[in-house]
Amino acid sequence: MNAPRITSLADSAEVEQVRQQYTSELEQLALQVELMGVLVDENLQRMRTVLNAGDLNVAEEAIRTDDRIDAMNVSLMERSYELLRREAPVASDLRLIVSVLRVTAELERIGDLALRIAKLAPEHELLTRVPAAIDILETLAEHAVNQYRDALRAWSTLDLGLAEQVASEPEVAMASRHLVEALLAYEGPDAVVVALRTMVAGQALDRIADHSAVLGARVRYLITGDPDHLAAEVR
Amino acid sequence: MSPEIAAPNAEVVAPTTAPVSEAPSVVFDVRELDVYYGEFRAVRDVNLQVLQHEITAFIGPSGCGKSTVLRCFDRMNDLIESARVDGKILYHGIDLYDPRIDPVEVRKRIGMVFQKPNPFPKSIYDNIAFGPRLSGNKGNLDDIVEHALRRAALWDEVKDRLKKSAMGLSGGQQQRLCIARAIAVEPEVILMDEPCSALDPIATARIEDLMQELKSDYTIIIVTHNMQQAARVSDRTAFFTTEVNSESDTRTGVLVEFDSTDKIFSAPADERTENYVTGRFG
Repeated sequence: MNAPRITSLADSAEVEQVRQQYTSELEQLALQVELMGVLVDENLQRMRTVLNAGDLNVAEEAIRTDDRIDAMNVSLMERSYELLRREAPVASDLRLIVSVLRVTAELERIGDLALRIAKLAPEHELLTRVPAAIDILETLAEHAVNQYRDALRAWSTLDLGLAEQVASEPEVAMASRHLVEALLAYEGPDAVVVALRTMVAGQALDRIADHSAVLGARVRYLITGDPDHLAAEVR
Repeated sequence: MSPEIAAPNAEVVAPTTAPVSEAPSVVFDVRELDVYYGEFRAVRDVNLQVLQHEITAFIGPSGCGKSTVLRCFDRMNDLIESARVDGKILYHGIDLYDPRIDPVEVRKRIGMVFQKPNPFPKSIYDNIAFGPRLSGNKGNLDDIVEHALRRAALWDEVKDRLKKSAMGLSGGQQQRLCIARAIAVEPEVILMDEPCSALDPIATARIEDLMQELKSDYTIIIVTHNMQQAARVSDRTAFFTTEVNSESDTRTGVLVEFDSTDKIFSAPADERTENYVTGRFG
């Protein structure tokens, strides 16, 4: 005699899956965050173009895109609040929605920082007066954008290993000190204004990398639900 | 650059909870519990511990055996001829189903509140005094009645009409009366089988508040269909589900996961729990 087939009621065909509308709304929400992330990525690319060539048209486009990013942030916030109010979500659903709120806030912030650099376009020439400094800025930009892209990829693939890697990415070694040293070594009547603009860009790039690390930590929490991972987000 | 960036390889230390000086005592220790009705096994392999001064919630779909397990704690299943229990339920280390144990004594220590308020068709006073009278309590009955009604947060509403029929109370008041009636015999444990399912939201909130007040003196186990209620009121949650045996077309309840309520509703370990608490399967 064969062993009887035992199935959980939850697995059996007689119980149809319920709340399909809600499920698809959650899927849409996660997807919209990814789209917002892609817009931010485009602006990061524009930021690099400005750093490299000071293109004013690119800077204008970045400003327009940032408005779209902000509008998406508001819309995703509203949808998240609506789902919280209507569905009283728990477990992974709750983690997803609170993570959407956190992630969209981080994305919006990263977008603002990218814009801050893009807006330096009219003064781009100032940034190039210290060759060592612009080299460091470009290195920082590459590092920050790579880290951001990994974070976004971790969000869309829910890759725990990648999320962990992004969350614990070390900063570019000594970059901050080297930048200051390069600026201090520069002498000229415009030394102060050059140093100020360069530091604005350097700090913004640094913050972008930092916010990307928070994204990684948040994706890790979204996947594991481990309270320790929530605590690790506070840096 | 900016100081708030973590240093490479910085260890982030998560806050730890302070060590508990004294572990809470175990009221019920359920081991390998199976419940049968005749040949039919209604529930299998239940293992869990109910801790003192905690609220333990049992959740799960209809027919998952949560009420059946609840009824084992006060030996209510004895009232069903064909019911049989395998495995052990230890109450403070004593086997509840030891033949030498008197079920009436068990029910004095372990009170039950049912889904539908079921006051006796007597006065409010007599409803509360019934248990103490039956058990030959020599104390002052007036004091016992007042104390029980106060503990059940009903005293102020009924103190001027104690001799009136309990049937004239609202559903929520009747349920609190039933809780007062359970308390009057000074039990240690209160079992509640969907105590709010017949009540409106305000009456439900009152009962939930009351449960929080009562848990400092009693240990409470509640069966509920309302997952938000389990999330709101309980310290620990047990999720039961139903297994279908395709050959005999019978269903057996099984305990899937038992953990802190926080864990069950934020990051449950078992996918079946996740599917149930998120409402994916009804």
